[in-house]
Formats: sequence, structure tokens, C-alpha cells
Amino acid sequence: MCVLPFKETDKMSELTETQIESSDDELPEEVAFDASKSAALKSVKDALEAAKREKILLKEKRKKRQQLFQEQKKRKRLPQELLEEFDKEPQKQTGPSDNKCINKKVSTKPSDINKDKTKTGNMPKRISKSLPDSYTVMRIKDESAAKSLQQKAMDFIQSRLYGPGTKRTTNAELLSLKKKRGASKGAAVEFVNKKLGASQKARIARSNKRFIRQQKLIPF
Amino acid sequence: MGEFKVHRVRFFDYMPSGIRALAFNGDTERMAVARMDGSVEIFHCSDRFFQEKIIPGREQCGIEGLSWVGERLFSAGLNGGITEYDLTNQKVKYTIDAYGGPIWTITGNQQGTHLAVGCEDGTVKLFEVNEDKIQFERNLDRQKSRIVSLSWHTSGSKIAAGMMDMIQIFNVETGHSIHRMLADRGVGTSRSKECVVWSVVYLSDGTIVSGDSVGMVKLWDDQTGTLIKSHNVTKCDVLALSVSQNEDSLVAGTSEGTVVQFQFVSMVLGKDDKEWVRTRTFKNHTHDIRAVAEITTAVVSGGMDAQLVVKPLLDKIEVRSAASALRKIHFPHRRLVFCARNSGLMLFQYPGHLELWRLGESEGKGIPGSSLFVKRNPEKLLHLKVKGEDHIRCSAVSPCGEWIVYSTASSLRLYRLHCDNNNVSITKISKLPKVLSSANQLCFSSDSSHLFSASTQSSVHIVSLSQSGCKFVGTLKPKSGSHQAIHLLAASEDGEWLASANSDHEVHIYNLQTRKAHCTVPVYSSAVTAMGIHPTTNCLFMMYADQQMCEYSIEQKQYTDWSRTVQRKGLHRLWMERDTPCLNVMFNPQNPSHVILHDTYMLCIIDQSLPLPDDKTQFYNQLTLKSLTEDQRKSHSHAFKVCKTFKDILCVELISDQSLVVVERPLEDVATQLPAPIKQKKFAT
Repeated sequence: MCVLPFKETDKMSELTETQIESSDDELPEEVAFDASKSAALKSVKDALEAAKREKILLKEKRKKRQQLFQEQKKRKRLPQELLEEFDKEPQKQTGPSDNKCINKKVSTKPSDINKDKTKTGNMPKRISKSLPDSYTVMRIKDESAAKSLQQKAMDFIQSRLYGPGTKRTTNAELLSLKKKRGASKGAAVEFVNKKLGASQKARIARSNKRFIRQQKLIPF
Repeated sequence: MGEFKVHRVRFFDYMPSGIRALAFNGDTERMAVARMDGSVEIFHCSDRFFQEKIIPGREQCGIEGLSWVGERLFSAGLNGGITEYDLTNQKVKYTIDAYGGPIWTITGNQQGTHLAVGCEDGTVKLFEVNEDKIQFERNLDRQKSRIVSLSWHTSGSKIAAGMMDMIQIFNVETGHSIHRMLADRGVGTSRSKECVVWSVVYLSDGTIVSGDSVGMVKLWDDQTGTLIKSHNVTKCDVLALSVSQNEDSLVAGTSEGTVVQFQFVSMVLGKDDKEWVRTRTFKNHTHDIRAVAEITTAVVSGGMDAQLVVKPLLDKIEVRSAASALRKIHFPHRRLVFCARNSGLMLFQYPGHLELWRLGESEGKGIPGSSLFVKRNPEKLLHLKVKGEDHIRCSAVSPCGEWIVYSTASSLRLYRLHCDNNNVSITKISKLPKVLSSANQLCFSSDSSHLFSASTQSSVHIVSLSQSGCKFVGTLKPKSGSHQAIHLLAASEDGEWLASANSDHEVHIYNLQTRKAHCTVPVYSSAVTAMGIHPTTNCLFMMYADQQMCEYSIEQKQYTDWSRTVQRKGLHRLWMERDTPCLNVMFNPQNPSHVILHDTYMLCIIDQSLPLPDDKTQFYNQLTLKSLTEDQRKSHSHAFKVCKTFKDILCVELISDQSLVVVERPLEDVATQLPAPIKQKKFAT
């Protein structure tokens, strides 16, 4: 009877199973120590290799993803030439320019890049030939600070005078009340002044139609 | 008298801009008005509140306050800059940045040496007023909340600042805060919001009056820093305060549109213990009142309903005259509508663009007073937007309808219009002479061959127009006189004479052939509101702000006989009591003795061949004349034929096919587009 190490119980159980299927009375087959050792080592190696493969796979995945992101970023950015030209421009301009800056998304199609390369021979005063004449280049962070303060101040006044908590009504109501209390009583302004009530009337007519259709009040 | 077909035009959607600030200059009796779109207007208080000067605004201006320092005018706004105005040339002199963020208030001390501005970042900045510029001197101690309002003490040593939830008194010399007075937040929903002290007034006896967003007018003592008295004026905000020159009367403007007056009187007659008592309430506005000012005999208020209301205080006026009536100024005292007489085109001047319309056509005839069937609707031919942020100062269209010109504060643009039946094309004339950089007033000659542009120093540049473009011809300079900007130009039909009127009440007449000054009309005490040169007699007919009129013969260099008769006899009382100025003078080629005038509420034809009415005759006698027989009519009719069918008239023009164009802007239509008013509960509604 050979003494079997613990690790090889699985292997052995496999073997014994087959043996058992053939005959229950016969002696178990002799398995050489080397064979089982090599089998065990092989399984370990396999496991290690599998882990390595997985690692490599993950790495590749990550690499691919990174590449994809890089490409997307590159796609979003303006072509290299334009960026270089823009870098030169803001240094020349001292104050904010009158024209507003428009961020144009130019895709880095190969045809575009080639066109730019051929045209950047002599640089005229205009910033870039791919941008129309009326566009100027301006750094957003130069102007936005002052503008937003003014906007915030205007929003403050707007919210204090017209925002929540103030009891405001419409001009139409004011005029209608005047007519109601006036010397010659008249109908509300929305009914008299066609322009004023037009949008409201249209909205009400539409919602009426929808209701009727919904409730199927009119037989088809 | 004549029958006219009248084109009644109501498609000029002119929206006046709300009033944001008022500043009264007691020495020159001028009221400066700042509007929400950034324009500043100067009204002459003793000349029937005629709008003497207009400085156009620009986009995103956010003007918040005005202040006079002597004869100089300064303004500050949410764009963070302090602007000084050149009132002679009616433009902005310079703008300097205060570097404190948006500026909420600007005020000058009584000595005229310093300007203080209250900024968003919580600092009160002091600027020294020098000869030509202002210079930053120092900051007072920086506070945690924004400075919404400021008021100097008459001595100039202390300044009161209204902030969020509190009022602080600063010692100007040291810059430190002396007292801190907390404003109550009120009850109910307003407890959760901060109380904004919208305006403060520092009286010379040390009392500080404050108006805040809870609707209270509070009186504080500056020695102890405590509240003396508190008056609940309204449920909504008290937005503006103003004290009179001798500090016995105070007015507060509210969000509801009421102006409340407080007077410093003693409760018991004869006793000396005076206190501030609420006396009168004026309800002349429908929307928020953003600014009030008390002048010597009246209370002037203005707000989001864009009308300037002058309410005379009847206890200060002895004689009942034109000055003692309530005056509401809705529309500007300048022309905004121009007509190409020969081609039936109308040019509408908006602040940021121009619109060119072709008038519609009607067919058939009707009885006087009826409306005719419109065969072809009026159509909009052109919508021309201004380049840049400045607003349009003046514009003009040539009588033939082929040239359009407009000017902003910084540029002037001339366009050639090609109009064949359905196609309208416009070409910009790019090479303009350098002198045409900006104009205060523009006028085309009657044959559309020349453009007259009024520029600095009361001079007029002449430019000739042709197929190839325009060429500078010459400059007309007055022989002597002031350098004030010209606000009216009139060219004669035959192309020989040009008349210009400037803000110093000077009218110069130039000979266009020799391009030299011909003569000057004697200066009158009131400003010229409209003038026109008669096509055949070459007499200059002028209308003044005090409703006087005169006729000056250019060729003979003297007043005409008719004009002298009018001066001698005087004008009818009802004519003189009109409260809106005449803005246009026209002549009828078919009836040389007729002069057509209009103001905001009436249209009048003056027949110079008929006798003038005296005070006893019925002035508005058109209806009675209709009921009389032919012979009786002849004996009863007088020179003034007034038609009051049209209201809120912006412009009346006579076009070449003998029809009148009346451009109306009904005030109700303006009212529907104003900002939202406060909800007020009225009895029985």
C-alpha cells in the first residue's frame, strides 16, 4: 500500500473512481511518485499561468481604454496649428475685445490638418484661415470674472424686487382692474386687446381640444 | 382747410426705458435722469421740463446712480466703473474702474471735493474730484455686506451707509465705523430675507432717514446710534428717498408707485418742537418708483413705468400757471420717426436697430372720420442692427428713400438702399470721410444730394452723395457763440439754406452756396423744439418749449410781420397751457399759408391768412364751425385748427401724395410690456 500525500487526493480520487467502476475487488493501480508530482506541478503552473494571462489581459484592456481616451481628447481639441496661433494672440491683446469668443469644435480630420499645413505659409494679420473673419480669439478667463459679478448683482436686484416673496401681478391684470373701476366699465384687457390675450387663448383652445379628444366627447 | 387721407401707424413698437436715477442740480436748475438702458437725459426744470440733452446708453450698462459735482455729471453702475459725461458734446467723457465690483451708489459731498461710491465688496471708496479727472483717494473700512446706499453729512466729515440689515456711520477722516444700527427684518415672510436699506439721507442736524425693503421709513439719531421713530409706509419696499434743499420736507418712493411726503413741522401750531410728520401721498405711478427728487416747488419721481412725473407742491406755488399742473413725460422730446416723403417709406429709430417700413395703400374715398379699406398692408422692408454695443443717437432717411444714415456715440454708418418692387438690397458705404466719425444730428438735403452732419463745436459737416459714394465738401462753423451740441437741423427746399439749433438756444442760419454763416436768430429764453423752412418764402418757423412760436425771414434777416403780430397779440391761453412740446413743423406745398404742427395729443394746422384768436374766442372750434353756415364760418374761424382725434402721437408727416402719416404709440400697449407691478388690493375688486 503506497502512502499518498494530501495534495494528490483529488487526482487519486479520480483514479480510484475509474478503478471502482471497473472492479471493486482489484487492487488500486500503482501510480508512480513522479507522475503525480509532475501532475501537481503542472496544475500549479497552469494556475499561475492563468493568473498571469488574466493580468496581461487586464493590462491590455486598460491600455486600450487609455488610448481611446487619448484619442477622444485629441478629437475634441482644435488642431495643433490653431492652438499655437491662439497662444500667440492673447499675449498681444491687452484688454477684452469687443467681439465675443466662440469656441468652435473642429474635428481633427486628416483632410483638415493637411489643408492647414499647406496654408500656413505666410501668416496674414487674420488669426487663422479656418476661422471666419468676424471671429476673434480671446481667453475666457480674462473677461468672465467681471461679467459674472455684474450678472450676480443684477440677479440680486431681480430676486429682491421680482423674485419669490414679492407679491407681483401682471400688467394685464393692472389694466383690467383699471377698466373695471373706471368711469366707463369695460371688459378685461385680454378680451379687448387681441394681441394680449392671443397666446393665452390659443393655449386654452388647444387644451380644450385635447380634453375633448381624451374624453371622447365627440363621437367620430 | 383741406381733406387729408391719414395713414394711422401703430406698428412702431417703441418701448421707453425705465428710470433708474434722478439728480437735481439746484444752481443750473437741471434734472439729470438715468434710464435702465444706460442713457442719461438732462431736463431743464424751468423751461417746461424740456429734454435738452440726451446721452445715449449702451448694452449691458447697468447704471445705478447719478451725482452732480458742480456742473459736472458723474454716474456709476453695476459694471464697476465711474463715468463722467461731457455735457457740451453729449457723450461719455471717460470711465474709470473703481475695482470694487459692481457699484451700487454714488454721491458727492456738499463741498464738491470728493465723490463716494458704495461697492459690492463692502467698501466705500473715496475719489478726489480734480480739474479734469477724478482720482482714487482711499477706502473706508471694508464691511462684510454690500453697500447699497450712501449719504454725506453736510459737513463732509461723516458718511452714512445703508447696507444689508444695517446702517453704518463712518468717520470720513479715519475711515472707521462710528455707529452700527441694525434694521429690523419685519414680521412674516420677510424675516427670512435680509432687509436691504435701499436709501439713506443724512440730515444736517444729525438725523439719518432710511428707507428699507420692509417698507419702513426710519429716523435714527447719529449721536447715540439709536432709532428715533419708525413709520410704516407700505407693505412692499421703500426704494428711494430725497430731502429738499432746506430740509423741511422729505419724499419717499415705494414699490407700489406711491410717493409719500414727510414734513418737518410742529404738532402744535406755534410751538417750536418740530418733528417729521407724514403729510401727503401721491399716487401717480403704476409701477415701482426707483428715484425721487425734490426740487424747489415740485416733487419729481420716476420708475419702472418709464414716465417722469412732476408733481408741483401746491403750498409752494402762488400763481396758478403752467408750472402748477401735474406733468407726465412719456416720450422723448426728439424725433424717432423719419419719413422719406417722396417714396412713402418710414424709418423707425430704436435704441439698438433701425426699421424701414413701406406704408400700405388704401382704396376708395370716404367721408371725413371714416376708415378706408386697406388694399395693401404696410410691410417691413429692412431691419438694420447696430454693430457694437452703443445705442443709436440719431438717424435719418433721405427724401427719395435711397440713403439711410445712423450715428452712435462712436461711429457713423451710411447705407445705400436699392428698392425695386419686391427686392430690397442695402449696401454699406465703407469709405466715409474722417470727419464723419459721429454726429449729434443728421439731415439730408431736400434733393437727397447732400448729407448734413452736426458735430462738435456746433459745426455742421457737409458731405455730397452720389452713385460712387460720398465726398466731404466742407464744414459750416458759426461766427461766434457756444460750443454746445446741435439738436435740430433744417434744410430749405431749394437747397440754399441750412438752419441749426443748439442747446444754448442759439439758431444759426448758413448759406449753402457760399458755405458761410448767414445770420443768427435772436436768442430766446426757451429752447427750440421744432423748426422748418418754408418752401417758397424761405421763412424759418420755430416752435419753442414754452409753446411760443415765431417766424424769421432768412433772406431779410428779421422776424416776419406775421410773427410780430403773434408776439404782440399773444397766443391763446389754451395753446400756452399745453404740456407737451411740438416736435415737427411741416408745410403744405398746395397751401402756402398753412403750417402743420403736432404735439403728443393734438395735430394743428395754422392758417397764416386767417385772423389770430384772442383770449375770448373759443379755441377748439372745429366742431362748432361744422355746424355753422358758410358765411358764418368765415367770420368765426381763426388761424388755429386743432384736431384731437389722435392720441400719443410720436410723429406727423406730410408725404408727397397729400396724405398725412400719424405715428401713434398707445400708452396701453406700452403698459402691457412693462415689468410686473406689485399686486395691490383695491376695494370692490
